[in-house]
Formats: sequence, structure tokens, C-alpha cells
Amino acid sequence: MVNMLRAQALPRADRVHGRIRRVRPAAVLWLVWAGAAAVLSLWWFDTPNVSGLGDWLTGAGRITGLLAGYAVVVLIALMSRIPALEHGVGTDRLSRWHAMGGRYAVGLTVAHGLLITWGYAVTSHTNFLHQGVVLVLSYPDVLTATVAGLLLLGVGIVSARAARARLRYETWFYLHFYTYLAVALAFSHQFSTGADFINNLPARILWSALYIAVGALLLWHRILTPLRQALRHRMRVAQVYAEGPGVVSIVISGRHLEELATEPGQFFRWRFLTKDSWWAANPFSLSAPAASNSVRITVKDLGEHSHQLRYLRAGTRVVAEGPYGAFTARLRRSRKVLLLGGGVGITPLRALFETLEGAPGEVLMMYRASSESDVLFRSELDSIAAARGTRVHYAVGPRRSGNANPLSARRLLAAVPDLAHRDVYLCGPPGMTAETIKGLRAAGIRPRQIHHESFEL
Amino acid sequence: MGTVFSFDIRAPGVSAHALQGVVDWLHRMDAMFSTYRPDSEISLLDRGGLELGECSPEVHEVLELCEQASRDSGGYFTARLPGGLDPSGMVKGWAVERASIMLQAAGSTAHAVNGGGDIQLLGKPQAGRPWTIGIADPFRRTALATTVAGTDMAVATSSTAERGQHIIDPTSGRPATALASITVTGRHLTTVDAYATAALAMGEKAKSWITGLSGVEAFAISATGERWQTPHFPTPGNPGN
Amino acid sequence: MKRAIVTIAATIAGIVLLLGFKTHPMPETTSTGPVAASSPTAGASLQPSSGPTATGAPATGAPATGTTTLTGTTVETQYGPVQVQVTITGTKITDVTAIQVPSGNGRDQQINSYAIPQLTQEVLTAQSAHVDMVSGGTYTSEGYLTSLQSALDKIGIK
Repeated sequence: MVNMLRAQALPRADRVHGRIRRVRPAAVLWLVWAGAAAVLSLWWFDTPNVSGLGDWLTGAGRITGLLAGYAVVVLIALMSRIPALEHGVGTDRLSRWHAMGGRYAVGLTVAHGLLITWGYAVTSHTNFLHQGVVLVLSYPDVLTATVAGLLLLGVGIVSARAARARLRYETWFYLHFYTYLAVALAFSHQFSTGADFINNLPARILWSALYIAVGALLLWHRILTPLRQALRHRMRVAQVYAEGPGVVSIVISGRHLEELATEPGQFFRWRFLTKDSWWAANPFSLSAPAASNSVRITVKDLGEHSHQLRYLRAGTRVVAEGPYGAFTARLRRSRKVLLLGGGVGITPLRALFETLEGAPGEVLMMYRASSESDVLFRSELDSIAAARGTRVHYAVGPRRSGNANPLSARRLLAAVPDLAHRDVYLCGPPGMTAETIKGLRAAGIRPRQIHHESFEL
Repeated sequence: MGTVFSFDIRAPGVSAHALQGVVDWLHRMDAMFSTYRPDSEISLLDRGGLELGECSPEVHEVLELCEQASRDSGGYFTARLPGGLDPSGMVKGWAVERASIMLQAAGSTAHAVNGGGDIQLLGKPQAGRPWTIGIADPFRRTALATTVAGTDMAVATSSTAERGQHIIDPTSGRPATALASITVTGRHLTTVDAYATAALAMGEKAKSWITGLSGVEAFAISATGERWQTPHFPTPGNPGN
Repeated sequence: MKRAIVTIAATIAGIVLLLGFKTHPMPETTSTGPVAASSPTAGASLQPSSGPTATGAPATGAPATGTTTLTGTTVETQYGPVQVQVTITGTKITDVTAIQVPSGNGRDQQINSYAIPQLTQEVLTAQSAHVDMVSGGTYTSEGYLTSLQSALDKIGIK
């Protein structure tokens, strides 16, 4: 059942679309900070003087307001699935930035509302509550902006980790749509009540251009491009079969898939067009190098959603967004590589194992699984290893600690003596990944030798 | 008092310190006389929280002046309103005049002090011409009804537009409605302010009353828009004092 | 958690710094506020010199014919700077333009939108009678802002 994929394995050098651009994370951060400085300079040049408590409060309110308006557009930009960002910064890091930045943006928004109300109240010698009512009821667009702020706060609270653990993924997903609504609702008050925009047409033009640009990027990369790709490649479920206990592999057929220029180790966001699942796009890595007419993913039953996938019928249409991910051969710095996988994390490593170049002994694989039946792709891995003149090191057994832990520094070094000279590609469940990194560091591996992708948000 | 004060001080002027002293004094008077503050001496006195003997000398002075004005106006000026003790019709003018005296003591020879539309003038703003004061038109906020000119003069305007119709005609017990506004001029703002309040309450009878007073003139606009003034009202062509 | 605290502290410090840079001590012009708890500034001519501060030359000193435009000095008020430009034709003021008005926040904008045209109208009305001050019509402190006296106080010109 696997061999049908071998027929048209993609030659790695073949890129139909040319070089994929990627930006460095540091460059992105610099750009964000520079933008923030530009936004603040708007306030700076608009403000001749600040004196007295009322002015200070209102000034702080305006600064937080400007930063909040900027922050939300940056956050949306980070999640627009811009390939250069996804490949350069990495999807997981973008998600983490988005989460941290999201909390900050909500904080700024709340601070902005409170400071402005308080500042105005002081200057007009009324109390906070009265001023709040006046602002909401008689200032243009402030009512909608307040609703927007509350929406944003609500999304922020719900997204907080504790809350999300108890929420269905579906609910959390829908909730994020409210952020778009919030941004749209809040936009107009920036211009009609915002001191730095009211009399400043160039500022309004630039600000609008920023929002429009990000909106366009969002539209293009998250909606139009997947649609284009769907029409072009016409992916459908070809076959679903069990790969192991609780794990299924799904073979997806399509046309012109070489145009996607997928690199082994990358993933797509998969949208299976069934009645219940069409709205969600889940990330799964390719578990084998892509062929020009089919790809394979391997999925573990981890939640309500992935559980449904085993029941997919052949012929179901599939929309794939991507490819995404920085977990590829490009990260490689040294000839010697160790692919270290745990559980279903073996999936992208399986693809890399087949395609990474190397003389016998240069590319090694270690596979940690809790039991024999949990080992996936055993026959495939073994035959790849044989072709490479090496063997897969299986570390099977329940979790152990201390020196009994096969992923401890001592055991790793025993298994792979020249570990210090190797790049390590690591993929597995979050707990295992964190623990392994500790072990690797203890064994003397430097952080830049360790490549891992984790999807913990 | 809820009043806005404007100062126009000409050469030789006063020190900022002296001016600040005047402002501080005005704040103290506000604290003492404001009927909107439950802890002002006037409010406490009214409610029985304070005896008259325990009040500040300024309160004594003002209340005594109110009694005098009441007698002069045949009861049309009174500090004993239905709602309680309220010398506001006198306090503003009295405070402005006192402020003007303080500025004079600090060395000013030419200034105009305006407290909520009641003005005390001293000297001349410029050599060769008197102070010129515009009288606001009670019907059109951006227009002037007329102007009045003088040196060492006081001008007070009472109008129903000011705070709704708060000036009560004591003979009927109801708000005075015959006049939209009346402007009274004279030497001392304390008297002039009280007389303006009384005149508004009097309505049409004010004309003969003011005419009968020496040193005091008036100009009025009735509720229907007709205007009248007493014979020696100090227009720019015929400035006062 | 620690990162959150650092971020919050850094944000507050940054905002305080920015605001601090913009805080200058106010010039001595406006210490005579109203007695009660209302906000507007009071008369402009407090210097012991000859007259109100704003106009470049008194109307009588202007040429008998022709048009002159004079720009007043900027007066710092509690809400921000106010500066007025006056056009004199012959010996009469024919136009007043507010070059700088407090526009530090949305409220100033709203107030300006109706106060500025009113200011112009009122000045032209008042100046035709060469008025120094206005009696009556001052109403409450809120009313003051849109009153004739306020117009005179703000620009201090006859």
C-alpha cells in the first residue's frame, strides 16, 4: 500500500515556483519595533504640551490607543499565512508571538479605554462614571469602539490557557472570528475621535493603507490562495488506513502537486470538506515525500476533530493550505544529523529520513515509543535505513526517569557517541520534546544545533 | 458661585503675587457663600448648623448689606428666598467690588474686574477714552444689545436667561417675567448688583424706581423685545463718571 | 509571568518618559481662574505693559487705507496654544482667523468646530463697538466658553 507512492517521488532540485522567500525572525521584530516607533512619533509631533493630571492621563490614553490599534494589525499580519513569514520565522514561533502579542494588545486596549475616560473626567471636572457615559453616548463611534473593546477582552479571557483547556477547539476557533469583528468595529473611532487623526489627513491615509494592506494579505493568503490551489490541484481523499493503534494514514490524490514545491518536513493545513469538518483547517505534516499526484499524512487520534478523520470517505474533497513550516533540510548545518522522534512526531522525520542526503552513518534516526504497537512505519523506516547503510535505533518502553530514561544525556551519548557534532531534528509530544532538549543540552549540544517544531500555542 | 471671573488690568498693573492673593480670596468667599455647597457657612447658617455669631465677618457684612438693599428696594431684593437663605444676588457684586479694592490697594489705577457679567471699573483703559462695556443681547448670544462707557463705574446685568427664571417677584411669589434683562450702572458694584436683581423682580416698575435713585441708571429689554433706559444712562456718547 | 511584569513595567516607563518630555512649566499668563470649579482661562492682559497681548498694533495705529494682516503672539492657555491672525482694512478689523487653537483632544476639536466660527463672529461684533468687556450673557461656566466674554478673554483684542 505504500509502494504506490514511490512511483513519482519528487526530485528535490525541481522547483517550479523558484526560490521561496523567507524573512529572518530578527528582521521581522525590527520591522515591528520600527513601526511602533513611527506610530509613537505621530503622537509626539501632534502634542505640543502636556501639563496637569488630566493631560497626563489623556496623553497616556492616546499613546496606548495608538499602540493598540497598531498591535492588532501587526497580530493579524503575523497570522496571515504569508509564506515568507511562515517559512522564515516558522509557524510555531509565529503562533507564540501572536499569543503573547495578543495578551499585550488586549491590555493596551483596556488601559486605553480607562485612561481616556479618566483623563477626560479630570479635565472636565466630572466623575469617571459620568464621563464614561458621556463618551459612550455622545462621542462619535465610541459606542461601537466600546463594544469592540469588550469583545476583544472577552476573546482574550477565553483564550487564556486555563480557559482554553476546558473549551472545545471549535468554540475557541469561532471566538477568534470576533477579533476581526472587534477590529472592524473599533476602526472608525480612531478617525472620528482620535486626536492624532482628526485633523491629520496624511496620517489617516497611511493608517488606512496599513490596515488595507494587511487585509489584502489576509484575503490573498488565507482565502484566495487556498481556493486557487484547490481548483488547481483538486485534492481528494484516496485512501484511509490504520497505521497503528489510534493512528491513521490518509492518502490524498491530486494534480500538479509538484507545483506546491513541498519540502520534506513541511506541513499543510488540511480542510476536509465534510459537513462537520469543513470549517477547521488542521496542520498535519506529510509523512512521506510528496509525489506529483499524491501525498500522505499520518494523524493520531488526539481529540474530537482528529478522531473524525478515520471515517473519511474516499472521494472527499480536500483543500490544502501550504506548504508551511521551517522544519526542513534548510536548517541543516552539519553533515551529521540525528533525527529524533517520539510518538506521532515521527511523521515529518519519516519524510526527512528518506530524503536527507548523507553517506552511511551520517544520517541517523532514533525513535522513542511507549510500546511496540506504537511504533509507526516500522517496515518503511527499516527499509530506508537499510538503503542508507544504517539502522534505526528504537527506544521502546514506558516513561522512565533518570538514567533509565533513554532520552537522558548519558543514554543519548551512549547510543550516539558523536552526538556533539550532529544537528538534531526533534519532533514529538510537547513533554517529550522539552525533556529531550534538556537532555541534549546536558550532553553538550548547543541550541543552534537543535531543530524542533512544536505546535503548542 | 459657579462664576467665571475675568480680569483686565492696565498699566501700571499689579504683581502676580497680589493677583493670586485676590484669586485666593475669591475662592475663600466661594467656599463661604456658595449655596451649592452644604458645608459653606451660608448653608450651615440656613440649616441652623451655625449661629450668626459664629460666622465670619464677611457673612455679617453681606447679610447686613442685603437687609439694606431690601429696604431700599421695598422688599424686591431679598436674601430670604423660598428655598432658603440665598444672598447670591448681592454676593457676586460685593465680591467683585472688594476684589477691585484689593487690586487698587496693590497699586492698580486702571482695571476692570468681571465676575459672571457684573463689572467693576477703575480708571481708564487707555489715555483719552473710558472703559467701554458691551451689554449682551438676551435673545441673541453672539450680539450686543448696546454699549455703556465710563470710568470708576460699576455695571451689573440681571437677566432671566441667566439661570432660567430664578428671580422671584416677592409680591406674587412667582418668577419675574416682564423683563428679559436689565443693566444697572452706578459707582459701587455691591449696590448696583443688588439693585439689578431687585429691578428684574420689579419688572416694569423698575424704571421709575431707578430714575428716582441718584447715581444709578438702568437700561432694560423687556420680554417682548422693547427697550428702555433711564435719562442719564451712560452711553459712549455720554459716558458715566 | 515574569515576562508579563517586565513588559508592563517597560510600557509604563515608556509612556511616562514620553509624557515627561512633553511637560513644560506653564508660562505666567494664566493664574486667574474662576472662583468655582470651572475650567476656562481668564483675561489675557496681565502684564504690566500697555495693553492686551495679542494684536500687533492697535487699530488706530493702522494705515488709513489698504489691508494689513497682523499675527498675534501665541498665548499659552491651559488647553494649549492659541494664536490669532487679524486682517485690518482701513481702521476696522475685517477678519479674524484662528491659526492655533487647542486641539489636543477630540473634545477640543468638537468645541473648536462651533466655537471658532462663533469667535470670529463675536469678535467682529464686539470690535465694531470697541468693547473692552461684556456684561450679562456669561451664564454658567459651560456657557462661558461660547460667550462673548470668552472670545474677548481668549484673544484680548478690542
